[in-house]
Amino acid sequence: MALAPTKVTLFSYQVGFGDCFLLRFHYPDRDRHALIDFGSTGKPKHAEKDHMAKVARDIAARCGGRLEVVVATHRHADHISGFATDPDGDGPGDIIAGLAIDYVVQPWTEAPDAAKDSIGPEISSPQAFTSRRMALAAMHETSRHALAMLDDGSLHRVPKAIREELEFIGRDNLSNLSAVENLMRLGRRRFYAWHGMDLPLHRVLPGVKTHVLGPPTLRQTDTIRKQRSEDEDEFWHLAPLRLSGARAAVAEGEALFPGHPTEPGNRLAAQWRWFANRVEQVQAEQVLSLVRALDKQMNNTSLILLFEVGGKSLLFPGDAQIENWRYALQSPMAEKLTAVDLYKVGHHGSLNATPRSLWARFAKRGPSTKKGRLTTVMSTMPGKHGKEERGTEVPRATLLRALETDSELHSTHRAPEGQLFQEVTLKLGG
Amino acid sequence: MKLPKLRSSARTAPPAGNTRRLMIVAKDPGVTFADGSLAFAEVDVPAENLIPGPTGYRVKVVDYDATAQVLYLPRASYSDDAGEPVDPFAFPAEAEASQEARLLHQARLLENPNFHAQNAYAIVMRTLARFEFALGRRVSWGFRGHQLHVAPHAFLEANAFYSEEDQGLFFGYFPGLSGATVFTCLSHDIVAHETTHALLDGLRTHFTEPSTPDQAAFHEALADVVALLSIFSLPEIVGRILRDEPPRTRDGRIPLIEPEKLTVDALTDSVIAGLGLQVGREFPDGHGAALRQSVRLKPDPTLLQQPEFLEEHRRGEVLAAAMMRAFLTLWRRRIDQLGTFEGRYNLDMVVESGAKVADHLLTMAIRAIDYCPPTDIDFSAYLAALLTADAEVVPDDSRFHYRATLAETFRAYGIAPPTEGCREDGVWDRFKPKEPVTYARSNFDSMLRDRDEVFRFIWENRGALGIDGRGQIEVDSVLPSVRHGPDGFLLKETVCTYVETAELFGAEVEKVLGVERPAGMPTTERVTAYGGGVIVFDQYGQIKFHIAHRLRSPRQAYRLALLWDRGATAVAADRRNRFAVAHRTRMEG
Repeated sequence: MALAPTKVTLFSYQVGFGDCFLLRFHYPDRDRHALIDFGSTGKPKHAEKDHMAKVARDIAARCGGRLEVVVATHRHADHISGFATDPDGDGPGDIIAGLAIDYVVQPWTEAPDAAKDSIGPEISSPQAFTSRRMALAAMHETSRHALAMLDDGSLHRVPKAIREELEFIGRDNLSNLSAVENLMRLGRRRFYAWHGMDLPLHRVLPGVKTHVLGPPTLRQTDTIRKQRSEDEDEFWHLAPLRLSGARAAVAEGEALFPGHPTEPGNRLAAQWRWFANRVEQVQAEQVLSLVRALDKQMNNTSLILLFEVGGKSLLFPGDAQIENWRYALQSPMAEKLTAVDLYKVGHHGSLNATPRSLWARFAKRGPSTKKGRLTTVMSTMPGKHGKEERGTEVPRATLLRALETDSELHSTHRAPEGQLFQEVTLKLGG
Repeated sequence: MKLPKLRSSARTAPPAGNTRRLMIVAKDPGVTFADGSLAFAEVDVPAENLIPGPTGYRVKVVDYDATAQVLYLPRASYSDDAGEPVDPFAFPAEAEASQEARLLHQARLLENPNFHAQNAYAIVMRTLARFEFALGRRVSWGFRGHQLHVAPHAFLEANAFYSEEDQGLFFGYFPGLSGATVFTCLSHDIVAHETTHALLDGLRTHFTEPSTPDQAAFHEALADVVALLSIFSLPEIVGRILRDEPPRTRDGRIPLIEPEKLTVDALTDSVIAGLGLQVGREFPDGHGAALRQSVRLKPDPTLLQQPEFLEEHRRGEVLAAAMMRAFLTLWRRRIDQLGTFEGRYNLDMVVESGAKVADHLLTMAIRAIDYCPPTDIDFSAYLAALLTADAEVVPDDSRFHYRATLAETFRAYGIAPPTEGCREDGVWDRFKPKEPVTYARSNFDSMLRDRDEVFRFIWENRGALGIDGRGQIEVDSVLPSVRHGPDGFLLKETVCTYVETAELFGAEVEKVLGVERPAGMPTTERVTAYGGGVIVFDQYGQIKFHIAHRLRSPRQAYRLALLWDRGATAVAADRRNRFAVAHRTRMEG
């Protein structure tokens, strides 16, 4: 009889605002493990400075020094910062790098080059691929400039709430070069996956079938959007230039109208003050909306993986938002979502990452009396992301209510203080 | 402490004239004629006593730049010592005589922030005046204040937008591809477009609420149509674009134009889509050009069903395209009626006929707002409103066929009048009460201006008006509408709008709105739904039209399904960023 797991245990690590999941597949001979994301942008309350290293050590101990699979769903800091290494070699990423890792899976947008062979994404052209990669890099740059605007005082008269949100999203989107480079080195084999790719994880996790639902490739996206992705990329290529241009203009004191008399912003006559203040706030919100937009773009590069094992289905969508889901939901693969037994709640419980049409598909959701009820797992931290009055708070209150009512919810934000992880077990073959 | 100078230099009573003339950039600084001159024009704006800014009774320009964190001080003076209005940027006499002096003066204006401020002020006022002219009354902005704030150089960003919350228009500037700085406040179309948002928001404040894609798209479409048609009131500019010849070189000759320059496609390329568009050309990735792609959309009745056109800006382009195509068809028809000279047309007559058609359509487009239901507007209802607005003024359509042409063109773009509540020709039905209307308890005089009186009337007659009373009813506005009737007599009507707002739970959706609850929506989900109508009272105070979107309506199903999927069933509109985000996305292409 072919080797197959008998049970699955999910360790959902307490990383504050971030994701870190260790999946243990129990086999008759030995356990095998998959690590899905390892990052944080807001440490849990009272966590020690080396909290992420502590998590890494626990992972290392739990998997016995060997990880069959490492998945980095997308390059946001709250999903990959744990892979960052330290110069002195004792960073969390160093501990992970010290493990024997078979396969590393990332979205196709992380591929170092436009692959020319059969495993490469079905992209419109190598230029389009390069363009997308440049756009991702430019998004990091844009975040860097936006954060610099906070530091150089350009936004000092702007309300605190705007500045805080800018800082939080900005930091999540900063390039984490160390983590990215570490991920490029890890593992015997590396896969850069896209919707519909045949991902052969069963070679290291026998009896586990993996379906890749997202992200779609550029060509796939074009079929539903009719909008040229390259145009969108080009916008992002130029976005950092715009912000840096604005900052340079300020820094160099270059006048827009040389010789024309001006009055400095902090010494305005009464009749100008009210509206001038509004102009400043509106400008800050412009920068914020730019950063929000790039945050969303980055989320939409997220891998959406569905594992089928021993009659159960486990769904890990990273931070995929509606635009990424849209392609999966209209594809033949969408049928597979009906049978999901365990759902890792997308994007820490945000508004757009669990589309209603996705939630409606889960046939196993229902009241606590329901047999074989859906299990949901969420890693989140309230008060970090979004605003309640706008209906964008994370986790979203309405979603949280639905998760509580219609599924067996395990969320890190409800876990007792000091607990390193929550454990969820799924019996297989039942 | 030195007090800020708030008084103008005028010491005498303001002169009696209703208008004054101010210099503007007619399209944008990208329009250059063969002799190197730019398209500057003097336009009429309502006369008023301006103080530095310029600041007047409806517009306050505050030239604060948030990127540089400085205010560009207003130094221009708008009246002479005798209190007579002056245009501080009028071309001096020598500029009229010498080409070199003219170009130098034009270049100086483009470098002067105070001229930019004047340009924005004048275009905003001109657009406001155009709305007031069409509606025969004062038109308020979409917020409580009276003065719309304008920041002509708000920040270094390729964006321009209206923010209700901040009571203002924000115009960005950015380095263009050529290296030159592009000022969005110098683009006539952008300023007119943003002003239209502020005006439409004042006339129909609920059109910014979350609803179907048509509602958001309508704001964009109307703003484009107003911007595009406004330019035809500057005949010298339109004429020069069609045939590039400085007027002073004519020497009394009749300027002629070849027929091949007057085909629908040629006119689209030259006068509508091809104009200037510095913002488009200079936008870093060239996508600003998308701003004007709408007019090139070929008629196709399936467009609105295509996924691409569910997105609000693309959707708005379909409505704008239908209007502009109807305009070109009507203009072309008038050109056909003109005589030719050796096969060529008299340019002045061509331009004049275009101005007439544009003027008529623009008035229709604005007046139509009075005949639109105040909530959940869709293209279909707007078409009926457009046809009604015209039928009220010109009952006989047989001369120029405006209504027939509009209905036909809109149909070609997949827009037809509603199947219920309209006559066969698409005009709204006159009010036919199902039960008798009680007028006796209302005071006729108060009904002309008093919201409470109108509310009482609506409340007493809610049965006859088909209002079920489950929503909270609020009378939004009671406005006079004055115009010349078909017989030349002055016709006074009163236009009132009321809105019904229902705060519901999911469980009540079916009972109150008459549609099924979207799949998966819990019974406890909070839902906000709108209904409402416009009641037009004739000169005797009797109801002439009652154009309503009722709370209980099949349209609620589509709206709810969309909002439910977006998770916005009870989320209020963002009154600051609503247009900021929309317009940036648009400029991004």
